[in-house]
Amino acid sequence: MTTDAGIDYDRSILGKEFPIGTFEVSREMILEFSQATGETNPIYSDEARAAESEYGDIIALPTFCNLFVNGGEKPDIKLEYGDTGFFAGQAIEIVAPIRPGDTVEVTSRLKQVYSKTGRSGKMVFAVWETRFDNQDGETVARVDESYVRRNSGRAS
Amino acid sequence: MSELYFEDVDFGDDIGPIERVIDVEQVRRFLSVRGETPVDSRFTSDEYAQAEGLAGAIVPGAMNITILSQLLTGWADTVRLKKLDVVFRGMVPHNKPITLSGIVTDKDIVDGEPRLECDVFMQNEEGTRMVIGNAIFTLPQREG
Repeated sequence: MTTDAGIDYDRSILGKEFPIGTFEVSREMILEFSQATGETNPIYSDEARAAESEYGDIIALPTFCNLFVNGGEKPDIKLEYGDTGFFAGQAIEIVAPIRPGDTVEVTSRLKQVYSKTGRSGKMVFAVWETRFDNQDGETVARVDESYVRRNSGRAS
Repeated sequence: MSELYFEDVDFGDDIGPIERVIDVEQVRRFLSVRGETPVDSRFTSDEYAQAEGLAGAIVPGAMNITILSQLLTGWADTVRLKKLDVVFRGMVPHNKPITLSGIVTDKDIVDGEPRLECDVFMQNEEGTRMVIGNAIFTLPQREG
């Protein structure tokens, strides 16, 4: 069982939902994201072939949501630990396709803060859960992101 | 790219491997699509990364998960990814070959949907797994 005991951060944020923003999804964004990452599956990258798919058009790559989740845009949880931080992991659940012309409303909440001790010493994790709802109120994706802070061992 | 069906895949089947090399221009383009201002960072500058104690510039985690997802989306046109859960265990450097691979761990019909699960890996030339995870995806059945 994980616990946030002994971790210094703003606990008033825990569990509270924060609007990240509302974003228009254009055809160009979907294609540019696919091209920038080297995607070859036609349902994400080839309009003519995607038109013949069950979707009838291109859809966004499963990880397209990452265009709208950026750690810097979330509230500062005032975590007082470590001198360096990294993106530790991510879980993306695709519930429904994101299509050209969709408007996606993004909402995040701080799901969990906990510590673990590994070979490199103590690490403190903050997990954010982000939900993506389209213009019809349908949830199209859920993303859990884990960020870790630790001491680098470098002299300050 | 071939079409792949549920019946074509079984437990223990390998996915990949495929090799990729990510360079700074690809990273800059990815960050640009994300709307990030083109400034030096641990993702684009060796000097900046080294000042943070890293060996050199690294590929952003959000780009790594996308590249790893392409092990599946690039396997066949018919793959439909439902979930991808990854842990970043090490830094992915620029300009070094990385190998993406996976193995099918489960196969079942869930609520009428033909569903598969697999473990996925991104490893470097030394065989160190820098990104690990698992995924759930669907494939069409030959006889619907």
